[in-house]
Amino acid sequence: MKRIEDIAQLSAEDLERISLDESIPVPAELGRRVHRPRPRRAWVGGVAAAVVLLVGAGWFFSQDRPALQDTFTDPYLAYAEVEKALDRIGGTLSYGAAKVSETQETLESVLK
Amino acid sequence: MKKLYILATLLLVSVAALAQDGKSLYQKYSDAEGIQAVYISPAMFRLIGRIPDVNFGDQAVNLAPLIKSMTGFYLLSTENPDQGRALAGEVDRFVRSGRYELLMEAKDDGDRTRIYTVGDAETVSSLVLLTYDGSETTFITLDGAMSRSDLDDLFAKAATR
Repeated sequence: MKRIEDIAQLSAEDLERISLDESIPVPAELGRRVHRPRPRRAWVGGVAAAVVLLVGAGWFFSQDRPALQDTFTDPYLAYAEVEKALDRIGGTLSYGAAKVSETQETLESVLK
Repeated sequence: MKKLYILATLLLVSVAALAQDGKSLYQKYSDAEGIQAVYISPAMFRLIGRIPDVNFGDQAVNLAPLIKSMTGFYLLSTENPDQGRALAGEVDRFVRSGRYELLMEAKDDGDRTRIYTVGDAETVSSLVLLTYDGSETTFITLDGAMSRSDLDDLFAKAATR
């Protein structure tokens, strides 16, 4: 087998003559493409760019909405509206509580 | 292909995150014709907090004590059946997303009322009412930091009266 020092001393014509000499056997594996695995961090940049794009889009669309204006300027009127809503919610919860109470009484009478 | 799946997932998550609360629903519908809209800001609630306590209503469940812990109020009301169905559809979407938890539903003579809560085991961050009384659909959201145990106690006291 030739040594690197011997190959380094060959002229260009000698190298060309050797490469064209088909009688010299070439290992079969040399024809196969070398597979270099991609670095593991290659996909991180793409995901980071996508996240920045989405955050930017979310910020942009949120800027379009004007600030909400209070319907009432008088806190007593606002309080009255909240009171009405809470009364409504309380009424529904009271209706449910009454049904629960009725059911409890029925169960107690059945179990006696 | 792997990057495409990740990007598609992030896009879906971001879309799902849009319009997920009472405020965004209010912003979407408040300017629509035929809809009555009321908004009370955190600043107005701070002023309300200075009003002396007044007991109101004769309901078994009195929610007046919760006003002190409220920070926002959104109301949408319409007599248009199509708009009413759209509002109810939006609420159903919030429920399917898991953010709204049904607290109670009451049906009586064609009237239907649902109360939802948003929050965790300790705190209710939103109390939501959706009601239909045969002609009008009303959506109300009350934001704040209401103690869930206080709400449970109010209900339990009324149920054992």
